[in-house]
Amino acid sequence: MNWVVFLLFAFAGPQGLRVPVGLDAYVPIPDDNPLTKENVQRGRELFFDKRLSRDSTISCATCHDPKLAFSDSRKLAVGVEGKTGNRRVPRILNRAYGKSFFWDGRVVTLEDQVAMPIVNPKEMDLSLEAAAARTGVDVVSLKKSLASYVRTILSGDSPYDRYVQGDREALTPEQRLGLQLFRGKAECASCHVGMNLTDEAFHNTGIASPDDTGRFAVTKQPEHRGAFKTPSLRDVARTPPYMHDGSLATLEEVIDYYDKGGISNPNLDPEIHKLQLTASEKKALVAFLHALNGRITDGL
Amino acid sequence: MWMGIAIFALLMFAGASGPRPLWTGPGVNLLGGPSPDGSFLSYVDPATRNLAIRDIRTGATRTLTHRSGPEYAYFSTVSRDSTQIAYAWFNSEGFYELRLTPADGGAHRVLYRNEEAGFIQPCAWTPGDTHVLTLFFRKDNISQIALVPVDGGKPKILRSLMWVYPKRMDLSPDGKWIVYDSFAKEGAGDRSIFLLSADGKTETKLVDMPGDYLFPLWTPDSKSVYFVADHDATTDLWSVDIDERKPRLVRRDLGRALPMAITKDWSYVYGLRAGETDVVVSTLRAVKEDAHRASIRYPGRNMSPTWSRDGTKLAYLSRRGSENFGLEARAIVVRSIDSNEERELLPQLAHIEQARWSPDGSALLVSGSDGKGRGGLYVVDAATGAVKPVIREAGISFRGYEGAWAVDGESIAYVRDNTEVRVRNLNTGEEATLFTGPNMRRLVTSPDGKCFAVASGEYSVVLLCGDKRRTITVPGVTELDWGRDLIAARGSDLWVIPVREPTAPTQLEMPGNRRPGFGVHPDGNRIALTVSNARSEVWSMSLKRAQ
Repeated sequence: MNWVVFLLFAFAGPQGLRVPVGLDAYVPIPDDNPLTKENVQRGRELFFDKRLSRDSTISCATCHDPKLAFSDSRKLAVGVEGKTGNRRVPRILNRAYGKSFFWDGRVVTLEDQVAMPIVNPKEMDLSLEAAAARTGVDVVSLKKSLASYVRTILSGDSPYDRYVQGDREALTPEQRLGLQLFRGKAECASCHVGMNLTDEAFHNTGIASPDDTGRFAVTKQPEHRGAFKTPSLRDVARTPPYMHDGSLATLEEVIDYYDKGGISNPNLDPEIHKLQLTASEKKALVAFLHALNGRITDGL
Repeated sequence: MWMGIAIFALLMFAGASGPRPLWTGPGVNLLGGPSPDGSFLSYVDPATRNLAIRDIRTGATRTLTHRSGPEYAYFSTVSRDSTQIAYAWFNSEGFYELRLTPADGGAHRVLYRNEEAGFIQPCAWTPGDTHVLTLFFRKDNISQIALVPVDGGKPKILRSLMWVYPKRMDLSPDGKWIVYDSFAKEGAGDRSIFLLSADGKTETKLVDMPGDYLFPLWTPDSKSVYFVADHDATTDLWSVDIDERKPRLVRRDLGRALPMAITKDWSYVYGLRAGETDVVVSTLRAVKEDAHRASIRYPGRNMSPTWSRDGTKLAYLSRRGSENFGLEARAIVVRSIDSNEERELLPQLAHIEQARWSPDGSALLVSGSDGKGRGGLYVVDAATGAVKPVIREAGISFRGYEGAWAVDGESIAYVRDNTEVRVRNLNTGEEATLFTGPNMRRLVTSPDGKCFAVASGEYSVVLLCGDKRRTITVPGVTELDWGRDLIAARGSDLWVIPVREPTAPTQLEMPGNRRPGFGVHPDGNRIALTVSNARSEVWSMSLKRAQ
């Protein structure tokens, strides 16, 4: 293949995926589930299909609402018959780049991830076999199709992305100060780092209840008690409330929480400590977080 | 020791089929590489910091850039047709940009200019010389593998890596594959070799065996990758066929190698670090005559000594791990002057630039950066090596801030943005500005701990004692310490600068080639210095014969 043609093709992203500014051209896609138009389209239809819940009242999109950055506005997830979970619905943006899934990282492939809300009694409460029978898509294909579609949900081209690419006017002066604080005094970038603004690691930030042990439930390692995965901050301003339990209503509350050094506990992450931010610095941080609102696309 | 290894290597491989030196002697620099046709080397002239090329056959050199002010050239790579050179240029605005210059001279072009891109390292060219494979090390401490178009278009970011900077990457001559080294797995210190398709579709680990593997380079047929296994004091050369994926040992004990490129005629061109760097202790009365080596363990790899306030301990930095163009990982060695006992501290820091004893000798204030690339100041427990961050920030130099202890041991002073001396309370984190001025660096504490001194500009030192300020003119100041008098360094020279009476500075005669990093004993009579005969060489080995 001619090198120039090779590159032009490559700029479109792997397997036809349009990768927005700010994200890597390399998108991890498993060999046994290549992105195809058919799979992605079928996955999209399944994502919005309420038949995947026991009483056909909710679909994946009910909680992962495209209009709300593929999350919702509730404190905790709500499933069939109004059953309430104990964690916040995460934004599922750029999960193609993810290393593990759910707040506790209990699965490491999207193919496994997409099946779990369907069978969870507090969420969609339907067996995969029943889902397959209702939709006419066998279980393996159902998982692969949903995973393929989720891989295409991307957010980039935010003011932050454009600034990092060299557009010095993309951020306001206050947002630029916020970025400086984000990387410096406020130490947000200790965990919210990289193209997706997450280290994909697990940290105890002090927000934990005795009945939700977080990562500990997966690893059984005592130091993981109360640790939850760092969420991406992409489009964070669009989706209050915050933290894994939705306990903080606004970005201002989140910044106040970290400014005070979190809540002391034996497993509190050593990265968390008092920050001594001023009021104007907090305001600048919030302004910067709004600059992470990007252009969200899905499908091929 | 390193001299011995180099001589051994020379004797061992002096035959026609083995490694041969391409360039030795003064002025050798490893920040470039050979042209693919093997006719010349690109490099940075250490004297002028300009980009230059050297004819491999004749040794003739040509300067290609003309720097001024703070500008300088850094890494470079020669195009596949050997007519152009892409190079990193630290510009007058204080950040790196990617430039292009014809190899036969002529005007440069800026290919990419973005302050956020951080550090830039051009590594290889695509077929047809349309793009430059470039590493960015962004301000948020992620590195990015990018293809930068030569026609001025936007870079294509292929891959981002958190908190790791590949020591080398290369593009296969057929343009299809990129190889780079990165941490073998999350949380690991050892590296392995990864294979990334140039279209961003796939990535796999090419070398999957225990060990520390770095500096991958492609063979001209795009079928194999050569890389080195690091053993701290030396390296072995390995190769792997990308289809078979069975790594093969090619040659043991290559020396402290920094591989550069494989030319079209299958010559493996690599840099070698030779010579020793060590700490010596002497008297200020007769520095040259009284000098003796201070380090006992790990000879030949030590630098930047500092005395404890009571004069009973000497701490110095000691190089560890693989070569990295002078920025290797470092341990802190603490030597007890009375017992000659040496203890090694291995703080969990990625880079240590300098260390300063706390007033009570229980801790060291360390300038450097942590595993997440955050530069700053850290307090290291002198007994355990445990690290406590004082200030850490992404986006500043990995060398961190320059800091000094206040007399109470509960606060420190540091230089921020080269314009401000700030005092920070270690318990509360509260800060206050002590002094502002231009181009400040090299902050030190007086022996009684009551004053600070800071270099300001190239020829003056400002003394800060309470509310009093006094400026002293010096013959030059690239480094500074304070014993009975101030000791200022300019390049390899040291000067005694009397503080109490207005007498002329006295130049000290050095025991060898002094390198950065010295400390004055609190009694004002002794000094510990870094001296070095370290040097770089460029070698070549035919891979066809080696196979």
